[in-house]
Amino acid sequence: MSSYIQVSPMGLFWENTFFNLALVTYLFATLCYVAHLLGKKQLGRFASYILRVSFLLHTGFIVTRALNVQRVPFVGSFEFGNMFVWATVLVYLWTEWRMKEQYYAVGAFVTPLAMLYLGYLTVVPRLFPAIRISRAHTQLAPVLQNNWLTVHVSASIFGYAGFTLAFAAAIMWLLKVNLKADHLITRNLPQSKTLEEYMYRGAAFGFLFQSVMIITGAIWADISWGRYWGWDPKEMWALITWFVYAVYLHARFTRGWTGLRTIALVMIGWVCMVFTWVGVAWLLTGLHSFG
Amino acid sequence: MTKETPKTAVKSPLQQLLNFLSSMQLGIILLLLLAVISVFATLKENETAITSIYHSWWYLGMMAFTALNLLLCTARRIKPVTKLAFHPHKLTSPAALRQMPHHYELKMEKVTAEAALAQAEAAFKKNGLQVEVTAGQQGRVLFAERGKIGYFGSLVTHLSLLVILLGAMYGSLTGFEARNGGLAGDHFHVEQGDFRVDIKDVKMEQEADPTVRPRVFSELVITRDDQPLSEGTVAINQPLRFNGNTIYHTTFRYVSDVVATDLATGKEQQLKLWDIDQLQLDEEGKVILHVMQFFPNFSMHGGGVPYSKNYLPENPVLAGLLIENNKAVRNVFLILNEPEVIKTSTGEIELLMTGFENAAVFTITRNLGRPILFTGAVLLILGLYLSFFTFPRRFWAVFAQESNSLIIGGRSRNRLLLEQELEQINQEISKGGEARV
Ligand code: HEM
Repeated sequence: MSSYIQVSPMGLFWENTFFNLALVTYLFATLCYVAHLLGKKQLGRFASYILRVSFLLHTGFIVTRALNVQRVPFVGSFEFGNMFVWATVLVYLWTEWRMKEQYYAVGAFVTPLAMLYLGYLTVVPRLFPAIRISRAHTQLAPVLQNNWLTVHVSASIFGYAGFTLAFAAAIMWLLKVNLKADHLITRNLPQSKTLEEYMYRGAAFGFLFQSVMIITGAIWADISWGRYWGWDPKEMWALITWFVYAVYLHARFTRGWTGLRTIALVMIGWVCMVFTWVGVAWLLTGLHSFG
Repeated sequence: MTKETPKTAVKSPLQQLLNFLSSMQLGIILLLLLAVISVFATLKENETAITSIYHSWWYLGMMAFTALNLLLCTARRIKPVTKLAFHPHKLTSPAALRQMPHHYELKMEKVTAEAALAQAEAAFKKNGLQVEVTAGQQGRVLFAERGKIGYFGSLVTHLSLLVILLGAMYGSLTGFEARNGGLAGDHFHVEQGDFRVDIKDVKMEQEADPTVRPRVFSELVITRDDQPLSEGTVAINQPLRFNGNTIYHTTFRYVSDVVATDLATGKEQQLKLWDIDQLQLDEEGKVILHVMQFFPNFSMHGGGVPYSKNYLPENPVLAGLLIENNKAVRNVFLILNEPEVIKTSTGEIELLMTGFENAAVFTITRNLGRPILFTGAVLLILGLYLSFFTFPRRFWAVFAQESNSLIIGGRSRNRLLLEQELEQINQEISKGGEARV
């Protein structure tokens, strides 16, 4: 049983306004990045500015949401999903800031993925009523009131963000290698070697945070339930995802495993990650009722 | 071929086996297998998966085999990694540098080799690199490096995984798990741990929202042979730890105080009834009250299904089922301070609920592996940090007399950062004038 929090109409108004504005500007930024990729060079910098603005709006949403629920907003699919998209955009923007223009092409693949995640939170529940993404403001159940949980969830959103960046680079690699060199899309993509490097950076970043997530999750479980590992499906899927990326990190070193096979591993890893987030909640049962 | 095969190529079968057992290929296969089997396991019902897969000899055996693979790999790599980190090749030649995937060649016509290398040295130092100069056959060679510790990343990571597995194994071999509990004033003995737990108090605190499960705080005192071991409060997310043992709050129960009076004889009996207790009401055991559930704030759904509106004790009711000759006869609802009379073949029994208390249920575990696991976890994070976020790099610089050029080559696992730094070094040298790419 979780109980609801009374939110003032003003609080609700700002929360929803920030969310809707963020959604619209994210979409706009996505279109600009894609246009830049397809040859509208002058839109690159503009796309980046728009994305920064939408990131600030999204931060505004998260802050108002936090004020409304009086805690860090990471409980339930809606809050967790938002944190995860927010972290993805943050990590992307940070990388873009360091890599400059050459990274805009990645933006054309990361922003659609962010839109995909946001679509799961907003559009999918409308199309499939069986998938309920509650936006209710709920109190934190006592068992969730623990600082390790905060670290656990923070680590998980950055882990997922890294894997999303790696996945974006993997898609780009596939296009780069399979389409003709003068193809509209391929022309503005970085070299495949560079894309492999981006992919590795994303996966490595994600892997470190995924490891922190698993460890802090175990510590929290040890404090709350008296066991650090319960073979629960959500735990297992996090471990499976971790295994897949571990295989990827090693496969890079192994002769005959470069190219398509490593790309496939990164893609499978991403599917496992999404399944841990979405699939386990709807298809399997376990202790983890949140996000 | 008449050429003699080099000695290293001849490997005994034992060596070949060891090579295979310590190989990364085997590691990849094992990790993939573990992943695939785990996917199938999660499709099963959780309890079934635990007993038939996760705790099966072959799944744990596979984990152990992976650990062996990792152990052999780690052992085999200690020496080469140490050599790589502490005994690098400091000498090189212009030809070797020109072969490196990352190198620059700067034409420097008007300066001496001395001056060019001095410029390179200054540029290296400006980038925070440690520089060493060695005399080689074709002139002096600059060797510059930074971030040696990063070479140990994968070694520390692998070691940490072994430590974690060791901790888990040690913990499960030396540990136990038990369940017990009681009311304030009760005590119980934990056989496996040889200690006694006295429950001094069990307090319930309602949440602001009464539909939320209240929190229960239990004051415990732990003793062994009357010697105090520990004491403290146990609640959700607040276990009591001592000597590798931990007492967790697992759940709470309502326990009803009921007075049973035989109306014929006037004999009274004080009872404490827990949910699912069986209460025998006659001599032969034909009439039994099956205690079902305690409701703090009793109410009924339309269909006659009892429920509790919330956790406030505003209408406490103990619900039971009356069984006669093995057949359910009717529901019994004991309302606080309202007597209920039950007829048996030998007479009448009056039941009166006079109050209720809270009992706490604890899980008691011993996990001596915890400090090992924690060490492993810290090492794992450290190892991954070293693997991915440090930037060990090495540069060499020589002056090629025949072409009057300074050649700088760099090596690092991080290609992107290496290129950036090479570019910076290049700019730094070019600023000194004279240089032309
Ligand atoms: C199961 C047996 C395993 C074997 C035989 C193995 C073997 C290896 C080898 C030979 C390397 C290359 C070392 C180097 O060049 O520095 C390596 C790298 C690495 N391994 Fe493992 N490994 C195993 C399992 C794991 C697991 C389960 C993890 C999970 C954390 C892991 C994490 C790493 C990391 C982080 C690196 C460095 C990767 C990089 O720098 O990109 N290894 N491993």
